[in-house]
Amino acid sequence: MHERLSFYVHRDSPLHRLNPLTKLTMVFAFILLSFGSPWYWTPHILIVLVILPLSFIGRVQREYLLTAARLIFPAAGFLFLMQSLFQPIGQTVWFRWWVLEVTHEAVAFAFVNAARIIVMVSSFTLLLLTTHPSELMSDLTRRGLPSQFAYVIISTLQIIPQMQAKAQTIIAAQRSRGLDTQSSFVKRVGALVPLVGPLVFGSLVEVEERAIAIEARGFTSSHAKTSLREIPDSRFDQILRGALIVSVLLAFVSRLWLS
Amino acid sequence: MAIVTLQNVTYKYPLTEAPVLQNVNLQVNEGEFVAVIGPNGAGKSTLCYTLAGFVPHFFKGELTGIVEVAGVETHQSSLNEWVLNVGLAFQNPFNQISGAKYTVFEEIAFGLENIGVPRGEMKPRVEKALALTGISDLADRSPYSLSGGQQQRVALTSILVMEPKVLVLDEPTSQMDPIGTREVFGVIRTMAERGMTVVLAEHKVEWIAAFADRVVALKDGQVLLDGKPGEVLTSPLLEEAGFGISRYTSTARKAKEMGLWKKDQLPVTLEEAVEGFRS
Amino acid sequence: MNIIIRDLRFTYPTGLEALRGISLTIAPGEQVAIVGQNGAGKTTLVKHLNGLLQPTQGSVHIGDWDTRQHPVSKLAVRVGYVFQNPDEQLFSQNVGMEVAFGPKNLGYPAEKVDALVKDALALTELSEKTETNPYDLSSTWRKMVALASIISMDTDIVILDEPTTGQDAVNVRRIAHVIAALRERGKTVITITHDIDFCAENFERVIAMSQGQILLDGPANEVLGQEEILATTYVDPPQLTRLGLRLGLKETVRNQEEFLTAIRK
Repeated sequence: MHERLSFYVHRDSPLHRLNPLTKLTMVFAFILLSFGSPWYWTPHILIVLVILPLSFIGRVQREYLLTAARLIFPAAGFLFLMQSLFQPIGQTVWFRWWVLEVTHEAVAFAFVNAARIIVMVSSFTLLLLTTHPSELMSDLTRRGLPSQFAYVIISTLQIIPQMQAKAQTIIAAQRSRGLDTQSSFVKRVGALVPLVGPLVFGSLVEVEERAIAIEARGFTSSHAKTSLREIPDSRFDQILRGALIVSVLLAFVSRLWLS
Repeated sequence: MAIVTLQNVTYKYPLTEAPVLQNVNLQVNEGEFVAVIGPNGAGKSTLCYTLAGFVPHFFKGELTGIVEVAGVETHQSSLNEWVLNVGLAFQNPFNQISGAKYTVFEEIAFGLENIGVPRGEMKPRVEKALALTGISDLADRSPYSLSGGQQQRVALTSILVMEPKVLVLDEPTSQMDPIGTREVFGVIRTMAERGMTVVLAEHKVEWIAAFADRVVALKDGQVLLDGKPGEVLTSPLLEEAGFGISRYTSTARKAKEMGLWKKDQLPVTLEEAVEGFRS
Repeated sequence: MNIIIRDLRFTYPTGLEALRGISLTIAPGEQVAIVGQNGAGKTTLVKHLNGLLQPTQGSVHIGDWDTRQHPVSKLAVRVGYVFQNPDEQLFSQNVGMEVAFGPKNLGYPAEKVDALVKDALALTELSEKTETNPYDLSSTWRKMVALASIISMDTDIVILDEPTTGQDAVNVRRIAHVIAALRERGKTVITITHDIDFCAENFERVIAMSQGQILLDGPANEVLGQEEILATTYVDPPQLTRLGLRLGLKETVRNQEEFLTAIRK
């Protein structure tokens, strides 16, 4: 039984209450700033002074820090290591070993790139943690995103755990018929056929029946769609979005100015 | 007044050789509750898809004859207009979950959002529908976390909430527990009394006898019998043709041979059987 | 082969307490039907019989085997389990190969596999369809293929989860015929069902479950006559039992023969 089908953590916080589009704007603003700002330390400052505090404001610091520790920082660390070692740039050599050459410039480049990756993944993580997927999609649909597109995204998010559950049932049925799926690698590979067959057939039936079911509920109706959820879009949201866009523009203008 | 009219309807799926429906004639009046019975493969599901417009609009294939609902002929309409008049729920509840919603409440509202019902109207309509089918307590659950029987109630509610003129149901209670089934038949009866026209394909003869106005027996794509439950469900033709009949009827028939059932008419419901055996 | 369940409790990882203290003994060759409302824990219970689920507390023994000490694929020698939806297990090119899959997994020699397959196909009236692809059959017949593919494993215990769902009268009779044949062979048959008339006509012992516990357990006539208790788990007595109750018959009846005998008195 999967009650939890997305990253979303249901809590009440100022970040949860923001309009989804504001949060989406925030995500893209942070990414653009970290890549586009002329100032080297921008992504690092964003991580420490904006993203980390935001996770506390959104009351999802525990979930965020866990994801960061398990996924985001290890990935960024790996990227940092690879770029430091293999980036063939710079003259200020710190040390040299075999074919490897570590230069000051490469390390600096890797350090900012790793930070940019952290900004990118972290801001998306915060968005997903504090925004209900239906809310995000209905807000975007209301603003003109085609509803078919929104449907594909949402149903895909839900279908992954459903496919897992279905695969579990099929494995259970085949194990009940004496199929050994646990002892050796060869047996596991051999067990794929009796698993994949029913999964594929089931999916074909499912696609057809689901198409009928949503069609029967007026999915392609020519009426303008409405939304059950009322998604607040406050004055503060609008100002915040404006400010974010202005700051991105400023960053790009100053970059052009300086170059 | 007839709201559903089928005249000489014959239909063949694109990939099959033989027609699944053959020369079917059927009229259903407004507010009537018609049950369709028949062995598997008799064409019950295809008949449901035809009434709901998915034959021919979705499945393609060759449809001849006239299919008319609420004064509109199927060939002259498109599926997205047709479904506003005719609602469909079918057997597999899992595949009827939209996948786009995270709670039962949102799931029920999905259809209303699609046809542009204003938000203010939506909430009370969903709440009313949930109460009607007895699943108000499931409103905040994920539709995927429910049992098959509960999911079937959600599928039914999702269609009821749209208030179609004609409700088409294909074995909507197959995974429900016995009293749950009886309750849902009661809900369907209520809808018919409020003026909704219902066509229901089912095997559960006891509840058909107790709740439906009329029974159509389908065999090999053709209408074998069409009439009041008491006539159709007691016809000797049914058992010969492999239909399920209620134990009240089969037992009274046997009792009649033994001289233990005195009436001419055989019973189809518990009440009729009680009354007949008492006299 | 005995089934012994001692104070079985099971809680799903989500925290849902599905079984709350089940103790049960089923003797070899018994025919048991399990009834009860949606979500009563019926499927959770039978999934413990072949080790698909392990007790959170208590124990399940199949003969001298504790289910915790044997993998599902080994328990399959003793317990066959027919899942509700045949489409979640059928994968072979033809019916014959599908039905042979189980006995082959159990490591039986080729001649024995052939004999078992032939017998299972005959019993389920599928002999003519041996070479057909299961997916070219109607869902009614696919259900029979799933049934045959477990019968061919020749286990002492056979579990059926909702065998009559969505089936027409002819096929329900076919399934009843298979269960009768298994009874004659001395097999234990355990069936979960919502079809209470089918239950009354084919099973000698009935267990009614509610909210993870056993509500009633005993000979079919005793259990099926308890109209008020059954109602608490959303089950009606069988049609003829209700008729008998309404007519004030002294004993509880559950099939045509019993009813006619009682009414003659």
